[in-house]
Amino acid sequence: MRRLATAMLVAMLWAMAGPAAAQQPIVAQFWYAFGGKNREVTEAHIKKFNESQSKYRIEGAFQGDYFQAIAKIRAASITKTAPPIFHVVGEFLPNLWQAGLLENMESYAKGPNGTDLADFLPAQTQNGYFDYLGKPAPPLFALPFFRSTPILYYNAEMLAAKGVKVPTTWDELRAGAGKLTVREGSDVKTYGFEVPVDWWFWFALLHQAGGTLMTPDGKRAAFRDKGGEALQFWVDMVQKDKTMKHPPGKDYNAWEVANTDFLNSRVAMIFTSTAFLNYITENAKFKVGTAFLPAKAKAAVPTGGTFFVMLKDAPAPQKEAGWAFIKWMTDPAQTISLSKATGYMPIRLSAINSPEMQAFYKENPNYKVALDQLKFAQKFPFSPALFEVYREAVQPNLEAPVVGAKSVGEAMAAAEAKANEIIGKYKD
Amino acid sequence: MRSRRARREAWLGYALLAPSLLLFGLVYLYPVVYSAYISLFQWDLITPKRYVGLANYGELISDEFREVITNTAQYSAGVVVLALGFGLILALLLNNRSRASAALQAAIFTSYIVSWVAVSLLWIWMLDPQYGLVTFLLRQVGLPAVNWLGDPYVALWTLVLVTVWKTIGYPMVIYLAGLQAIPTDFHEAAALDGATGWNHFRFITWPLLTPTTLFLLITLTIASFQGFDIVKIMTQGGPITSTVIYVYYIYEQAFQYFKLGKASAAVVIFFVLILLLTLGQWVLLRRRVQYTV
Repeated sequence: MRRLATAMLVAMLWAMAGPAAAQQPIVAQFWYAFGGKNREVTEAHIKKFNESQSKYRIEGAFQGDYFQAIAKIRAASITKTAPPIFHVVGEFLPNLWQAGLLENMESYAKGPNGTDLADFLPAQTQNGYFDYLGKPAPPLFALPFFRSTPILYYNAEMLAAKGVKVPTTWDELRAGAGKLTVREGSDVKTYGFEVPVDWWFWFALLHQAGGTLMTPDGKRAAFRDKGGEALQFWVDMVQKDKTMKHPPGKDYNAWEVANTDFLNSRVAMIFTSTAFLNYITENAKFKVGTAFLPAKAKAAVPTGGTFFVMLKDAPAPQKEAGWAFIKWMTDPAQTISLSKATGYMPIRLSAINSPEMQAFYKENPNYKVALDQLKFAQKFPFSPALFEVYREAVQPNLEAPVVGAKSVGEAMAAAEAKANEIIGKYKD
Repeated sequence: MRSRRARREAWLGYALLAPSLLLFGLVYLYPVVYSAYISLFQWDLITPKRYVGLANYGELISDEFREVITNTAQYSAGVVVLALGFGLILALLLNNRSRASAALQAAIFTSYIVSWVAVSLLWIWMLDPQYGLVTFLLRQVGLPAVNWLGDPYVALWTLVLVTVWKTIGYPMVIYLAGLQAIPTDFHEAAALDGATGWNHFRFITWPLLTPTTLFLLITLTIASFQGFDIVKIMTQGGPITSTVIYVYYIYEQAFQYFKLGKASAAVVIFFVLILLLTLGQWVLLRRRVQYTV
């Protein structure tokens, strides 16, 4: 008994002294929000980073989808257990920055272990994502990681069979969907078109119709008319034409339904993120085509995906380790392998122009669509209200007209009133 | 006056209870009290809490919250009534010692043990309006496809049916136990008096099952009020907000919209509601419960 106690004491002392005595790597947690295929890709890169050097060790942890992950990060920030680095979708950033949660990255990016900021593709960066609404730009606090745009995916065989050409305008999309829809009595066997009734796609249509989310100074919501036109387009296709399927489920549940329906040939065309290009191409039993989103008054597309950020309150050594990982992950070599494995866009000019990537694009032109589409990229207003306008004003009001429970006019009026109430709350 | 020994024994009893009481206090009582405290603040987790008095409760007096209450009441009533009714019918049918009955009981009870996630996913596939099994069967008999989860007027009742399917084994088993506790003497005596089958049920079985029914009514009501998993997986509250029931609403406010104060206010109201409901059911039914004939 006594011997056992001695042994335990020794073991404890050794365990406590261990890290100090040996040259242990600095361990830092990285929370990410990718499931499935993209999770594997992320984990593989974390492993590669850890093996590439011995000074730092990154431990990745999957935290559910973007919304679940941000909820956990916010909760963990209360108990002081939030990780030094994580990644978030752009719409969350203004609010997190305003709340003082995020680290200013300027000194890291320009310091001794810095990165070449000029080599980042402008549309992919923090400054390319946000419209600062006439106010001075904040410092660098986010670096792009896995960036995307929505694109049109089509079943090339179905389009060829029906003699439908790839739509480039809303009218062509609507007419094409009509020809591609296959009915059996009153039931629909194959839908012409499907898109999640979701903020991101609505934002694309809003800008295509010629609208914007807010006034140029960000002081009022301004989406009622053009946002209504966007929504009406879906309502007409779902209710009148019955050529568009409205995938059930909220947030990414609906996205998954759209992807699955497309893979199972239950729909001929869908809008979804370029992020799923690798997954869809690998799992489709037919030839997959991709194209720009169709235009209305103009061609327009939001960018999406996520940014790396650092937690201001994390211990300095952990932030150092976290930065080393962020720098490595955004280096040209990694941005190339991440892009090829997923469908997200590379974020470095030197990577895009590299012979490796150019040869890859020649062989896989689908991977270049999102990148080329960046010339139509629209910015999001850098307003602390953005996240709430998205989650509480717009998103909850999109579905009712599509299922016929409210008129488009009513829904958009409610959305805009709520948005203005939220924006008003943030006025100083 | 109690002896010293008795007092010492009482102390020992409390001492032995202490660990579990402590744990109970920590994981049940403390969160409830803390929720009541948080409900007086505006808090989004990342900016400092701001005291707002009863404003969160005021914000809950809204159409949105009224819809949540209506949804919850409909869901709960549907689940309790159907589960009790069908649970009793199944128990009456299967209350014999045959092997087939035992096998059926086991089969029916299985779905009660299976996780909500598995059940919900299974039913999502079966109810798909384009290619689900249920849709296929409806087409076979010439009925139109129903948009079970996509129609805002239907989705809540779909959730009720799936919940009843999943939980039916529980009232069945409890009713079976209740049936088997009824002494056979009563039935024998009634048979001698020439009672019909219905009379057996009406005057012996049903009255003697009242304590069982009361117990089931309370536990099923509370369980259905706490429904969450099925909503999270099958509909996420949609279409629109037609399937947002109480606990899901709390989750949405807290972890989707980061309104911790408003969510906590809803928690406090929920706590009081369940407490009143339980007390009310207990007091009301206690008078009519027949523990013997």
